[in-house]
Amino acid sequence: MRILGIDLGSREVKIVLQENHVTVFKKKISTMAFYRDFCLYDGKIVVDVNKIGCGPFDRAVSTGYGKNNTDLSQFEAINEIKAHAYGSIFQTKMDDYVLLDIGGQDVKAIKIENRLTVDIELNDRCAASCGRYLENMAQVLEVSLDELSTHFNEPVELNSTCAVFSESELIGKIAEGATTEVLCASVNYSLYKRLKPLLNNFKSKKLVLSGGVAKNEAIQFYLNSDYKEVISLEDPQFNGAIGCCYYGSMFS
Amino acid sequence: MKKIGLTTTVPLEVLMAAGYEPFDLNNLFVTAENHLHYIDIAEQDGFPKSMCAWIKGIYGACIEHDVKEIIAVMEGDCSNTKVLNDILKSKGVLLHPFSFPHSHLIEDLDKEMKRFMKYFDVSDEEVEGVRKQLNRIRKKVKRIDDLSYKKDVVSGFENHLLQLCMSDLDGNPLEYEKLLDDKLLDIESRNPIVKKLRLGYIGVPPMTGDLFDFVETLDSKFMYSEVQREFSFPRFEMATNITEQYYDYTYPYDFDYRIKEIQRQVDLRELDGIIHYTQAFCHKAAEHILLKDQLNIPILNIEGDKLNVLDARTKLRLEAFLDMLSDMKVVTK
Repeated sequence: MRILGIDLGSREVKIVLQENHVTVFKKKISTMAFYRDFCLYDGKIVVDVNKIGCGPFDRAVSTGYGKNNTDLSQFEAINEIKAHAYGSIFQTKMDDYVLLDIGGQDVKAIKIENRLTVDIELNDRCAASCGRYLENMAQVLEVSLDELSTHFNEPVELNSTCAVFSESELIGKIAEGATTEVLCASVNYSLYKRLKPLLNNFKSKKLVLSGGVAKNEAIQFYLNSDYKEVISLEDPQFNGAIGCCYYGSMFS
Repeated sequence: MKKIGLTTTVPLEVLMAAGYEPFDLNNLFVTAENHLHYIDIAEQDGFPKSMCAWIKGIYGACIEHDVKEIIAVMEGDCSNTKVLNDILKSKGVLLHPFSFPHSHLIEDLDKEMKRFMKYFDVSDEEVEGVRKQLNRIRKKVKRIDDLSYKKDVVSGFENHLLQLCMSDLDGNPLEYEKLLDDKLLDIESRNPIVKKLRLGYIGVPPMTGDLFDFVETLDSKFMYSEVQREFSFPRFEMATNITEQYYDYTYPYDFDYRIKEIQRQVDLRELDGIIHYTQAFCHKAAEHILLKDQLNIPILNIEGDKLNVLDARTKLRLEAFLDMLSDMKVVTK
């Protein structure tokens, strides 16, 4: 059976096609381009699947932020907590862990016990603990996001709660002569510190990371002191879409 | 008739035979229009923020209603109850002690029961006479519980409440029996309302009574309410005397005894999942470790504190858990 899964994120739309539980197609499209170039509007959003180029499929499942945005014609919409839970269950084959999904503008902590969601925490009101913050700070520092994510030694404190104020704070540190390495580590550490309160009620031996920030080595390094084992998913950005495929293949 | 307050279920038969009208202080607190006022009374008198809301609510209810005497359960309830008893005594409340012996040996309970009966100056015959009358009522509550999981004609909330009120028979056994008769007539004429998920509720009765109706909006229904059911003594027919009845009662005794009965009901009622409710700051929250390990069923732990309605976060957790549990019920491959 061929299942098409789509995760409509704030920055990118992730598309996965699985055939008998094996990923045979995956694609990322910017969210703006997806709605503009790959969708038609006929009362409901109709996805032009030919344009996506994934080939035929038997069932299609969508997820993402906001019920209306993800309600696509031909697709069955499932909530994103479930999609990410299923994606991580499929990818890790584990039963009990905490999943931390750090996306472009939202963060989710999901506690999985016995392959079921038992607790959830979401960021609200503010996106200063998300991927977009790292992107902005990398721009200020004029380094790539990949470069930024490799530094974790000797961070200095960036105390601002607000991501915009943090930029001026960072510029202050540049002016004080801090090295780029230290500045990068400081940015990563400030993100980690913003994540900590969210994880306070999520004690577990294993932490699974998903979302765009899952590959950030510095975040992995800091989280390693809080958990016995920190696992980054192999396909962290496609986790929600993979979860859609898993749901589509396992449940009617 | 003299009124006597209860902090937990005790042998009602003895108290009623002695001419008392027992009333459950938990019910008085949680059904009050402004239940938070009772908690405020306790906190103003120095009860810590980090203490179970039930204890503070019972204390507030005693003070507000000028309760003169209570049954003080010395063994078989939590340690918070012990200090509550001491404080109430210092406020002039008369305490009548009763214990469910930790040993859970029938001879120890029999000794305690005999002492309790002598204390209230009632005979075996008088107690058995009341027990017979109450058993007639217990039978009706048991019938409603049976209909809840066999016929899908009882709401989770109804079953929860009707069993819960057996702790004091709502202060009036005859009126309560009439209420049950009317309920049974109504229930037996209903068409079944079948929900996809069959749930069990375990743990102390919740502060948040809306839980029962909330899960029904998610295509689920509680078919078993553990402690509420224990309050109604569902195995009363197997007991030949008052001691045996209060011996075959899981709430005050050890965990192993309790979990066997839960697993029996999980199997009998073909439950899909369990919601385990714990009260904030209660030691019973740690029992979740054992329940999760030993019960062969998906289980979600939710916690209540002072509020008597579910908060948004708990609702979200219930939604997420029941959503995935519902998927599991129709696994296609």
